[in-house]
Amino acid sequence: MKHYIILTVILPLLVAFLLPTIGRFSYFLARALPPIILIFSIVITACVYNNETAPFALHIGDFVAPQGIVFHVDSISLLMALSVQVFALFLWPRRSFKLQSEQIVSNKRYSLMLLLVASANGLAFSGDLFNLYVFYELLAVATFGLISFDTNEANQARFAAAFRYLVISATGSVMALLGIALVYFLTGTLNFAHLATQQANLFNPIGLSAFALLLVGFGVKAELFPVNSWVPEVYSAASKKLSGYLAGVISKLAVLVIIKALLFIFPHSEAAYLMLGLGLAGLLIGELSAMRSNDFTRMISWSSVAQLGLVFIAFSIPGQAGIIAGLAVLFHHMFVKTALFLIAEKWGGRISDLHGQGYLNLIMSGIFIFVALSLIGLPPLPGFWSKFLLLNGLAGQEYYFAIAIILITTVIEVNYLFRVANHLFSREDKPVLPINNHHWFDTLTASLIVVALIVAVWELPTINDQLIIMSDQLLDIESYVNRVLISTENGL
Amino acid sequence: MIPDISSILFSGAIGLLVIGVGGLLLSNNAYRVLLALVIAEAGANLMLVIAGYRWDAIAPILTGDFTPQPMVDPVPQAMVLTAIVIGVGVQALALTLIIRVKKAYGTLNMVEIKKRMEMDFDRLSQEANQPGKLEDNS
Repeated sequence: MKHYIILTVILPLLVAFLLPTIGRFSYFLARALPPIILIFSIVITACVYNNETAPFALHIGDFVAPQGIVFHVDSISLLMALSVQVFALFLWPRRSFKLQSEQIVSNKRYSLMLLLVASANGLAFSGDLFNLYVFYELLAVATFGLISFDTNEANQARFAAAFRYLVISATGSVMALLGIALVYFLTGTLNFAHLATQQANLFNPIGLSAFALLLVGFGVKAELFPVNSWVPEVYSAASKKLSGYLAGVISKLAVLVIIKALLFIFPHSEAAYLMLGLGLAGLLIGELSAMRSNDFTRMISWSSVAQLGLVFIAFSIPGQAGIIAGLAVLFHHMFVKTALFLIAEKWGGRISDLHGQGYLNLIMSGIFIFVALSLIGLPPLPGFWSKFLLLNGLAGQEYYFAIAIILITTVIEVNYLFRVANHLFSREDKPVLPINNHHWFDTLTASLIVVALIVAVWELPTINDQLIIMSDQLLDIESYVNRVLISTENGL
Repeated sequence: MIPDISSILFSGAIGLLVIGVGGLLLSNNAYRVLLALVIAEAGANLMLVIAGYRWDAIAPILTGDFTPQPMVDPVPQAMVLTAIVIGVGVQALALTLIIRVKKAYGTLNMVEIKKRMEMDFDRLSQEANQPGKLEDNS
């Protein structure tokens, strides 16, 4: 059973490259095939998640670990892959053409979405630094293509945004490659398990600079502080569902890669301080810029920068408390930000244009207020619990400065989110703009996210247990090494 | 006194990186930014090759009369090959984007492009909620 997990990477890749050819023969098949493939890989991932409780390593082609390519599958990577596929299914680009030529364009768009899913799954499972780099580049190329697709010809900004993003992302890749070169120079291996056995060689200034280069390099997608200037541009230019997918899910995979680098390459306090500092800077800049912006999309883009700052702060807490808090903030933000971008699908313009919309579209404004409350952290909601875990962990380390900044930025968050709520339910005597209603499927997806958050309130103990199991697996480097380097009977 | 060859190569790799990053920060033309990126990537690739190179060793090719002796590590060379191919792909994509930007805005000046882009965002933001907007482009 567990070998089938490879199909979640292979099948989307295969179909992505076959799709342009299939589309020439049957447009219907080209439209129907990608969701079927996604559902199939969701089923595979869910079965593996249910059946194989213990984490396991897959040696591809039966080559022994440091030489061959390894997929390491544990519950956190399975959960990430599952959310990649489920969110891709719900945020799948809708058919939006009236002309024959636009059919071909949407076929290409489906191909790129499948490439994005395949490379994201690869990022979740891969146990080798260079393999991660290749999947990361594949993911980046798919994103550039998707950003520059838009059926609205008036939106010329998308090319400029995609190019500026490409420059930042390619610079990050050069940094990551340099970090990989330094790691290889110090240890002679790039396999995570093999690296973990050689940590004595890495504990020096060169090792720290290798980690810093990897942090900045992979941090581009994770919206880390010095390399996040692309965030508001790209999310304003691209379609809002794609932005929701990038901000909600793809950025989390980059965070996961960075956590792997932290645990296996440089698990020392210097690296954690670096992440703490950059996370705090990202949090402050994100929240302040969100407060200043007048555009709804721009506001939630900056707020996503701030939330990822919180994730980095959480993971910088040493030990299990940090991992649990980080995972809680990470999964909470995944749901909340996707819902916010779905709302921005129709309400993406100036915030002042939204006045009175709340009375017209009660469902969406209700969803907005619920999600905003959870993002701020009102007590019964999951957002409160994730922020509480974070503050608790920070207090355990006596990082009082960070606690102060988080509490102050929460106040800023309240300010800008409720400015929108204020406009939605304003009783000002201005004509209400007749904005189109959201598509029923987007409303359904956003409502499902709200339902998931409400269920999470009841299921908090279960979720907490799951997070403890995940963090145990993530921190148990010794058995990771044993699984990857010693057990060979798992070969494919 | 002649410095040994590996330190020359290391400083060459770091020099290429510095030139590349400097070009990225200082040049104002989109095409030159791309060229700076190419140079920086060459620096990183050179670094990766040097990481696995040995001066007292032979190429890792097995011939008929094989005698055990030190070999150059072939793994970084294979990785650099991959990285070069990825780099070429990304650069080609960047060039197509530059062409589209030039068609849209008629300029390659990065400052000008950013200004025009911000103006476009303002316009889109104002038009987003206006009645009579075209249907759905998600």
